[in-house]
Amino acid sequence: MVSISLRNVCLDYPLYGAYDYSLKRRLLGHLIREQGEMRIIRAVDNVSIEAAAGARIGLAGPNGSGKSTLLRLIAGVYPPSSGNVAIKGNIVPLLGLNAGVNLDFVAEDNIALLLRISGRKPSRAVIDEIWAFTELEERMQRLPLRMFSSGMLMRVLFATATAFPADILLLDEWLSVVDEHFAEKAQRRLLNLVSQAAIVIIASHDQPLLRRTCTRIINLDHGRIASTAVVEPTSTPPIELREKRA
Amino acid sequence: MNHASETARRPSVLHIFKIYYPDLFGGTLTVIRDICASLKDSFASAVLTCSQSAKRHEVINDVEVERVHSYGNLLSLPAAPTYPWRLWRKIADHDLLALHAPFPLADLVFAFGLGRKRPLVVHWHADIVTHAGLRWLIEPLMRRTLQHAKAIIVSDRVLVDHTPLLREFEDKCHVVPFGIDTTVYDWPKIEPHHVNDRGRLVLACGRLVPYKGFDVLIRAAVNRKFEVWIIGEGVERPRLEQLIRELGVGDRVRLLGSVNDCERIKLMCLADVFVMPSVTNAETFGLVQLEAMAAGRPVVNTALDTAVPRVARHGMEAITVLPGDAEMLGEAIDTLIRDPERRRRMGLSARTRAVTRYSATAFKEGMETVYRDAVAMPRKEEVATAAEEPHPPGWLDSVRIAAALAWSDMRHRYVRSLLGPFWMSLQMAIVVAVLGSVIGQMSNAGVLARLPMLALSMTAWTFLNSVVLDSTTALQGSASLIRDRALPPVIFLLQCTFRNALFALHNACVPLVLWLILTPQHHASRALEAVPGLLLFVACTLALSLVLGAMATRYRDLKPIIESSLMLAFLSSPVIWSSDMINHRSTVMRLNPLTHLFAVWREPLVGGHVDTISIVYVLVALALLSVASALTLMHLRKAAFWI
Repeated sequence: MVSISLRNVCLDYPLYGAYDYSLKRRLLGHLIREQGEMRIIRAVDNVSIEAAAGARIGLAGPNGSGKSTLLRLIAGVYPPSSGNVAIKGNIVPLLGLNAGVNLDFVAEDNIALLLRISGRKPSRAVIDEIWAFTELEERMQRLPLRMFSSGMLMRVLFATATAFPADILLLDEWLSVVDEHFAEKAQRRLLNLVSQAAIVIIASHDQPLLRRTCTRIINLDHGRIASTAVVEPTSTPPIELREKRA
Repeated sequence: MNHASETARRPSVLHIFKIYYPDLFGGTLTVIRDICASLKDSFASAVLTCSQSAKRHEVINDVEVERVHSYGNLLSLPAAPTYPWRLWRKIADHDLLALHAPFPLADLVFAFGLGRKRPLVVHWHADIVTHAGLRWLIEPLMRRTLQHAKAIIVSDRVLVDHTPLLREFEDKCHVVPFGIDTTVYDWPKIEPHHVNDRGRLVLACGRLVPYKGFDVLIRAAVNRKFEVWIIGEGVERPRLEQLIRELGVGDRVRLLGSVNDCERIKLMCLADVFVMPSVTNAETFGLVQLEAMAAGRPVVNTALDTAVPRVARHGMEAITVLPGDAEMLGEAIDTLIRDPERRRRMGLSARTRAVTRYSATAFKEGMETVYRDAVAMPRKEEVATAAEEPHPPGWLDSVRIAAALAWSDMRHRYVRSLLGPFWMSLQMAIVVAVLGSVIGQMSNAGVLARLPMLALSMTAWTFLNSVVLDSTTALQGSASLIRDRALPPVIFLLQCTFRNALFALHNACVPLVLWLILTPQHHASRALEAVPGLLLFVACTLALSLVLGAMATRYRDLKPIIESSLMLAFLSSPVIWSSDMINHRSTVMRLNPLTHLFAVWREPLVGGHVDTISIVYVLVALALLSVASALTLMHLRKAAFWI
């Protein structure tokens, strides 16, 4: 059973200044009794979220309110300073598409490596299927990514990242592809992915988008849950799918 | 004897704590003894403890006590290196484990996942207060233990609220207040108004250790009229005696030393006021004040963040003063001394509270319930956790991803290049040729015969050097994969070793070719003998890269230090020269761990025997590095903050 359970989770994020990275200074500070005050901000403050299969949670809030940090905390990047995090199900964090790309490698190898990083076995069939989705020419598979335009690169990365369904999908902003024609297709695939995932958490500034896709919207402010709104399911299916990055 | 059949019937509990009777007396020990005694009918108890005395096995009041030899105390912990091992061996013999925390020596066993098959109950007696500076080291261990525990028993709710570590496991915590057998205090006949001849006897009781705050009590006695008797023994005794002399209160303050139970009860009933001047949160409950309450004594205690001021409450059974404030303490005692009526009233309510709230029966029932549940519960939950565990990317996954990344790194070298990593091999060949000719000038021995070993040593050194150097920047270089893909940071440190191992295999063709050409007869068996040594070498390199990689990411100024140290190590180690070329066996060389790290695989290759010292040296170094890497791995999740 897929579930997410955060109980009274806090995350103290240490902000390291130039001096905080210095061991010499830290040791000297001990000797001369200078208490180097470490700046710590509470990026996530006493947050409790329970989500069972079927939950679509939107995280809203101004910049720096802790949306991305909370997503990373759920993904297991940051250990919570206190509180309990219990997660069942495999998580696919789509927080940034560029991670792990090597521009010198040919597209094919990059896809294979990215799949391996996410724990999948890159078989010929899988790579071909991903390539088919990008609608790029067959021979480009053997070209290094450096030679791709940014739009083409985006297509490859998007297709690879969304190739497999996930139990828990974490999205930092709705992934958008600028290319007009491809965007529609990408939207459909992403919606499909969202519909297949048991739990989806989306962080976004875009309130209408959140209201369309989510069942629950959590407003964050300074790491705290300011309010939680339950969205009434609308009978009309989403008409306008296209979204642009905020 | 029916002993065997009896143990088969009753589940057996192993109590794990650092000391036990009759080595020392104290509140925690009384609790353990009471648990053993009161649960005698339903549980067979055994104790595993440390002791400096020679006697190992004995049976005290039907409780089987095994003592592990300790070499004395180090930072409040017994130095008993074999304790974890004994504990691990004993776990299987018992149905339930009862750990009396804090006891990091036992946490060590549970942190490594040993003893998972047996249910564990943790009695949380106190947090680490005295050596709080070592918290960062101990806390992860304690957390692992608590994660594994089926239940955590605390004496008061307030401990959960004030201990961050316990708050994480709130749902496992059970509050079972200590209880004592109040009937023994009926003797001699309690007369709450009883006043001894001088009408001013103040009693305190506890081990003579700093946190008990007896020095505060002695200071409080200055310029007052009451008499202070302190029961107990401990390391502070000389200091307290000196303090008594200095303050000139020797006629009124007495250290009674250890006193047997019967005598203590008598003294409790005799005293006018009982004082517990403890100064730190290490005092979590204060069992002695409960005893004094049972004896109908008014109490003076301190306002700690623990159960202390909640057992005997200010204005009802006690006067609570600020910890460490001698003046206030003296004033409070005097208030009670001057007012017999108030003393009587407080004594009566203290007695009532002890009898009703902290009875031995309630304590026994509470304990029994927790123990029984812990013994009964485990199976089901274990299945659940076992099913859950594979979810976080396991070790094998991490290694697999690291290998895939390393493989792709190597392939990267072949991209847009004809020779790929063999460029480096070519470079290696040139270095070996030049160095070989230079060394040939310096020494008169056959240069050609030395060349294969020189090439091999250079290959090994290049491996170690580049693994360590790469690891210092590996985490920063992979920041986006760590933060956006949530990959465990350890992958990228492993990647350094894997990648450079692949490169080393490329480089290894230089010594291999030289060996085939230049060595007249080939002993393949020697190569096999060198394999264990080489594995040690690689293991040390890997551990070193984990530790230094993490450290250099946290502290950026380490990187230049590591770079220059590596250069120095290269020059001072027998990599390009061999030990017989220079002043035979100099001290620097013998102390240099790299000398031995190279010796363990080089000696078998040239047909010599490895020095035992070298093997021991390398094994010790590897053990230390392993411990350091284990610690690093525990903290490595924080690396996401550093990059």
